[in-house]
Amino acid sequence: MKTAVVTGASSGIGYAVCEALIKRDYFVIGVGRNEQKCLAARNEIIENHPGAQIDFITADLLSQREVLRSAKEILKILDRTSDGALYALINNAGCVRGCYTTTEEGYEQQFALNHLAGFLLTHELFPNLVKGKGRILFTSSNSHKMTKMNWSDLMFQKRYNPLFAYKQSKLCNLLTVYWLNAKYGASGIRAYGIDPGLVRTDIGNKDAGVLIDLFWSLRKAKGADPSVPAAAYLKLLESAPPLGELYHGCDKPHRYSREVNEKNAGRLFELSERLCGITGGWGI
Amino acid sequence: MKVLITGAAGGLGRALAVECALRGYDLFLTDVNEGGLLSIKRGLLRRFPVKVMIKSCDLTSERETGELFQFADRNGWTFDMLMNVAGIDFEGGFLERSSYNILKIVRLNIEATLSVTHKALARRNGSSKRFYLVFVSSLASMYPMPLKAVYAASKRFLLSLAYALGQELKSRNVSVLALCPGGLPTTPDALAGIQAQGFWGKLTTNRLETVARRTIEKALRGRRVYIPGVVNALLSFFGRLIPETAVAKFLYGRWSKAQKLRFREQAGGAC
Repeated sequence: MKTAVVTGASSGIGYAVCEALIKRDYFVIGVGRNEQKCLAARNEIIENHPGAQIDFITADLLSQREVLRSAKEILKILDRTSDGALYALINNAGCVRGCYTTTEEGYEQQFALNHLAGFLLTHELFPNLVKGKGRILFTSSNSHKMTKMNWSDLMFQKRYNPLFAYKQSKLCNLLTVYWLNAKYGASGIRAYGIDPGLVRTDIGNKDAGVLIDLFWSLRKAKGADPSVPAAAYLKLLESAPPLGELYHGCDKPHRYSREVNEKNAGRLFELSERLCGITGGWGI
Repeated sequence: MKVLITGAAGGLGRALAVECALRGYDLFLTDVNEGGLLSIKRGLLRRFPVKVMIKSCDLTSERETGELFQFADRNGWTFDMLMNVAGIDFEGGFLERSSYNILKIVRLNIEATLSVTHKALARRNGSSKRFYLVFVSSLASMYPMPLKAVYAASKRFLLSLAYALGQELKSRNVSVLALCPGGLPTTPDALAGIQAQGFWGKLTTNRLETVARRTIEKALRGRRVYIPGVVNALLSFFGRLIPETAVAKFLYGRWSKAQKLRFREQAGGAC
């Protein structure tokens, strides 16, 4: 039985991915922020799929303390169930913020959750992923195009723009994917970014601000059911697209932005390591 | 520049700390939340080449505040700027709140702020070096606010104090700034409060990053009061022209609606 970790698992795309994995007999470890919602999600999955193997960890991944704590809990479960091997890490947790807000570390929240949380969790579980010849998936977005890394003010402290902060965080996902494959592809891991398309989730309704809440409520009505992208996630886990294809839509690989290049990826990787306090390398 | 920030693990305190670090100021941060202090220290040191020292402290305890300053003394800190950010509110009707909580607003927002300010100023030992003092008051300080009565009054105290001390300490090269922001979207809770106010909430809300940056700019320029946002400035201006009884009546209507909405949502969420 293969093991998969899914963040942002209690609702939206994460929940649908959990369900899709359970159907293929994966052992799933979900991470969610709200304890009650995690419990409800777990119960619903077990009810719909009797015999499902699923555990939930409650953690607010905005805070790096919580990322590290959830990684420790995941490691404990992996040691118990799969001798430490992890096949899939799906970094899916994300947020939209209409205003400049910071995390405990003083980092801008979209950058911290959409990029750094997944980056740090990947680092913490990396030896396990190597052991399981695993896949690392990031929920990125088509919106990583038509933007650049705002290197001089990465956290948009001078003047915050929610859309550009979001776009940049999704570009960060693909830069991470690029660098993981380039630097660590030889170890047997594969990383992919996914554009789930417009999906009916609540991402724009959670602490995003009045305007975005309203806008998203109107926009998401046209979105696809989360099970549509979930099928694409599963396909990436079950088949093995070439490493050059970093970025996949629901149907086929897409061309990524020209900003996704070695120079930007290396720079972001180094900076992210510093912002996550990673000093000891990647354990391989 | 060496800066002392109270309430540094909260939304505004954190944003001000980041802004100071961006300018290369050394920081001494305090808050009642020790875990939060450790996190912000880590975050700052990873981004900026500045010195950061933290010490958790419940500022409502005079003993702990004394120890805080002794700790700073022992480590050789002489401050050039003090930002009194630590503050608290328990929203809701006067009689619906416990007297303990009501007094806590006064203890933290007023007594603790006075204690910290006095200790910081006393440590200047008559030095003529420029000292910047910042009080975080609020737009709520401009009016009597039914259903936020004690909070608004405590913030009025700070505004009045800032004006008076600014004049009194001018000759000692101390500049005093009162920051009077509207809503700041710092926590999910604060955001829910702003959303519950609807139109007025949106209108009076300020950008956190702008407030943090301009507060420091205005303090350095020796300004007395900073009301962020044109709308807020207008509201505070007209607030002074209209009789206080009329303002109180208007605000009572606005807050009772917003609070009913908010507490109903909270009750719904808990079910």
